[in-house]
Amino acid sequence: MIVLNVNGREYTLDVPENKTLLEVLRADLELTGVKEGCDRGECGACTVLVDGKPFRSCMLLAVEAQGKEITTIEGLAKNGQLHPLQRSFIENQAVQCGFCTPGMVLTASAFLAENPQPSREDAARAISGNICRCTGYTKIIDAIMQASQRQQGVET
Amino acid sequence: MNRETLLGKSRARIDAPAKVTGEAIYTADLKLPRMLYAKVLRSPHPHARILSIDVSKATSLKGVEAVITGRDAYGEKWGVFPYTQDHALIAIEKVRYIGEEVAAVAAETEEIAQEAIQLIDVRYEPLPAVFTIEEAMSEGAPKIHDQYERNLNIHVSINVGDVDKAFKEADVIVEDEVTSDGETYAMMEPYAVVAQYTTDGYLDVWVPNAGPHVRSKALSNLLKIPLNKVRIRHITIGGAFGGRSEVNPNDFVTCLLSIKARRPVKLVLSREETFIATRQVHDMKVWMKTGAKKDGTIIAKDYRAYYNGGAYSSTGPIATSIPFYVYEETYRLPNVRYNGYRVITNKCARGMFGHHGRAFQMGNTIQMDRIAEKLGLDPMDIRLKNALHSGDKTATGSVITSCGLSESIKTAASMSGWKEKRGKLPMYRGIGMGSLAIMCGFPMGFRSGSSAFIRMNESGQITVFTAIVDNGQGNENMAVTIAAETLGVPIGDVNLVNADTEMTEHDPGAYSQTATFVSGNAVMRAALDVKRQVLEIASSKLQVSIKDLDIQNGVVFATYDPSKNIKVANIAKIAMGMGNNIVGKGAYFPKISPDREWIKNPFGQMAGTYSFNTVVAEVEVDPETGVVKIVNVWEAQDCGNPINPKTIEGQIEGCVSRAGVGALQEELRWDKGLVLNANFLDYKMPLSIQQPSVTKKLITTNDPEGPFGAKEGALTCSMNVYKAVVSAVYDATGIWIREYPITPERILKALKRKKERGKQNHL
Repeated sequence: MIVLNVNGREYTLDVPENKTLLEVLRADLELTGVKEGCDRGECGACTVLVDGKPFRSCMLLAVEAQGKEITTIEGLAKNGQLHPLQRSFIENQAVQCGFCTPGMVLTASAFLAENPQPSREDAARAISGNICRCTGYTKIIDAIMQASQRQQGVET
Repeated sequence: MNRETLLGKSRARIDAPAKVTGEAIYTADLKLPRMLYAKVLRSPHPHARILSIDVSKATSLKGVEAVITGRDAYGEKWGVFPYTQDHALIAIEKVRYIGEEVAAVAAETEEIAQEAIQLIDVRYEPLPAVFTIEEAMSEGAPKIHDQYERNLNIHVSINVGDVDKAFKEADVIVEDEVTSDGETYAMMEPYAVVAQYTTDGYLDVWVPNAGPHVRSKALSNLLKIPLNKVRIRHITIGGAFGGRSEVNPNDFVTCLLSIKARRPVKLVLSREETFIATRQVHDMKVWMKTGAKKDGTIIAKDYRAYYNGGAYSSTGPIATSIPFYVYEETYRLPNVRYNGYRVITNKCARGMFGHHGRAFQMGNTIQMDRIAEKLGLDPMDIRLKNALHSGDKTATGSVITSCGLSESIKTAASMSGWKEKRGKLPMYRGIGMGSLAIMCGFPMGFRSGSSAFIRMNESGQITVFTAIVDNGQGNENMAVTIAAETLGVPIGDVNLVNADTEMTEHDPGAYSQTATFVSGNAVMRAALDVKRQVLEIASSKLQVSIKDLDIQNGVVFATYDPSKNIKVANIAKIAMGMGNNIVGKGAYFPKISPDREWIKNPFGQMAGTYSFNTVVAEVEVDPETGVVKIVNVWEAQDCGNPINPKTIEGQIEGCVSRAGVGALQEELRWDKGLVLNANFLDYKMPLSIQQPSVTKKLITTNDPEGPFGAKEGALTCSMNVYKAVVSAVYDATGIWIREYPITPERILKALKRKKERGKQNHL
């Protein structure tokens, strides 16, 4: 039995020890917002936050994630309020097919928490491990910059 | 009083909230009661005869509910056209590429399915195989299909004017041979299928696709199930780029498993399987020759284009044609000969990709620029000189309607400072240009048209029913915006039911830039039908003539006196009370030549309209490392009238990434029939840090046929950006690269060759 703390809730789960966090989140907890794009740590679609840091959930065994706070895209909105990045992704059309979006938003949220006033180059570097095939990244970076400005109280 | 418009405004897309919260459901996310999990046994051989398949051990494994092989299929072969039916979708007798479907298992868990696959015993007799165009066409090459002599699958032959005579009259002639490696589509969503067959004979299928009706018809034929009992269901789709256009073997095996097990079955491919066993992109080899007069007028073109098609026809006749058509839709070609050959090899079947023939389009750019240089002309001016205009006819007889080509060339040039930069930048920095058109749709028989209907509820809110598919490009938002704008109701009052064969009428699918022009047109006409019904009732209630009425924000009002008004909701109730509920229907069929055929009759009107684009790219070449960096991109797009400008910008930026950055690094690498880089580490995907800044300008031409004047919004950019890059690399280095992608190795090799030749740089 393992205990996982996901999106502020504790789950006691009976899962084999060779299961990745990605598999457990998707299959056992039905958190299908966590996307499987490659299962090899190459694309970033399965990114979740582990104690606030972005991790590829396909590269982490579920047992290793015990005792840590895990946040998936489903847990980012608080009290029915979208996270500023979720809002800015919508408004800037940073979303096309949407498959990379959960990983992008979570990576960006950890990045903004550490670096609240980034340059566009910083933002591009922060998401350089997340692959997007649709957007060419420009509007994703627009969205990150807008969320950053909003957090600074600059309304755009 | 004029009403406000939704058009031309960058409103947020309706599909975005579900996607940023993880609520959007993709195929692999589905879980149905009693659902089984599938795995596919794939061929380890590029070409082999199947001597025997023993599934007994797999079948008796606990937890296995169904095992299928080619023997469980119905003997039908898939082909987009009657003359290309060559793909059994699960191997019978022979396998023809590494990764081909040989058998499949459905079991209680993925692990059991995986174990069962390993228990299937297949005996093969390996056969000699061919992998390249040259090998496949060589004397005595092994024949991969009995019906294709020398492995020649498709031959498209177009001959207009008198090419040989025109070459004799040409003042300048250039000849080039250009090759390009094949790519992968690399949509972020790995391929997945869920199929549910029930005892009443219905088969429901969830699968990423570009056209549900085309998919259900194919499965109906192949599975011998009546069409009304095969239902493709709506599902969120994680990208397509041309790679999900036709029925896929993985659809077929999942359906067979569900039919056999009488339970829902889910198959999710790994990233590697998505690379090697869905669809790939043609690698190409093109010889071409162009002749021009002294003033730059192109008078003769001759092409021999070879396409490595892989093991099956796929969309072959179309894929072997489109590279030529996008070019003939751009420039006047009075004398032209095109011979396109698609060759069968022992690789995964190749489909269409938005780049439409990298070798072909880059070759055209090289020749245009070389002729300009020989004649002392600016590459921009030679493009303008040969550009098609509104009212012109293409070589094969398509009339060009709205046309912003010349304007796009001039706009991209002026934004980029072309005249000050071309040939004048410092060494290893250069600027290049690419221009192309694309057709909005192509003849697909009765499927070329779309129809839609709209119902209204008692609150005056509407639901649009259309087969329009959204692969990520924003088609759902487009349909809702067009309906809301046409009728004059808020976007929030428009629901959408789409991409479901049970609930929607026919539609060509999201191919070749049809969605806005054809499908959007049908939605607009359905909304106009609703509006007519609403206004008829309003007219009698308000005693105002119909021509003086309009609708805004769900209220019908007299345009000369808005105080005379009535809510659409009230009209909906009145209609219901009359036993005549408001339901609108609309259909659109483009003005095309119905007898046009890709091989037998490649003449006549190809599409209802064409759109045009020019890209200018500036690059920096590092002579030490051979790395090319795209510094800046300027593009000017004629998309008719943009419905949602930000959506089009997003398409353009994506094209610059896939096609521009991709042109420097994307290629499948092979060891004979084995893909060596079927993963995202070794297959170099364009990344955020490589994306150049893109300056965009939308040129409004207001197409007379398009809904609100709209037409295609950005695929042309996909082809033009890599053309501009190859031209810019020449401007930077004085070297024409003729093998693509433009990798550092190729740049270094070319620089070394140039140095050895001891020639002066053109600068």
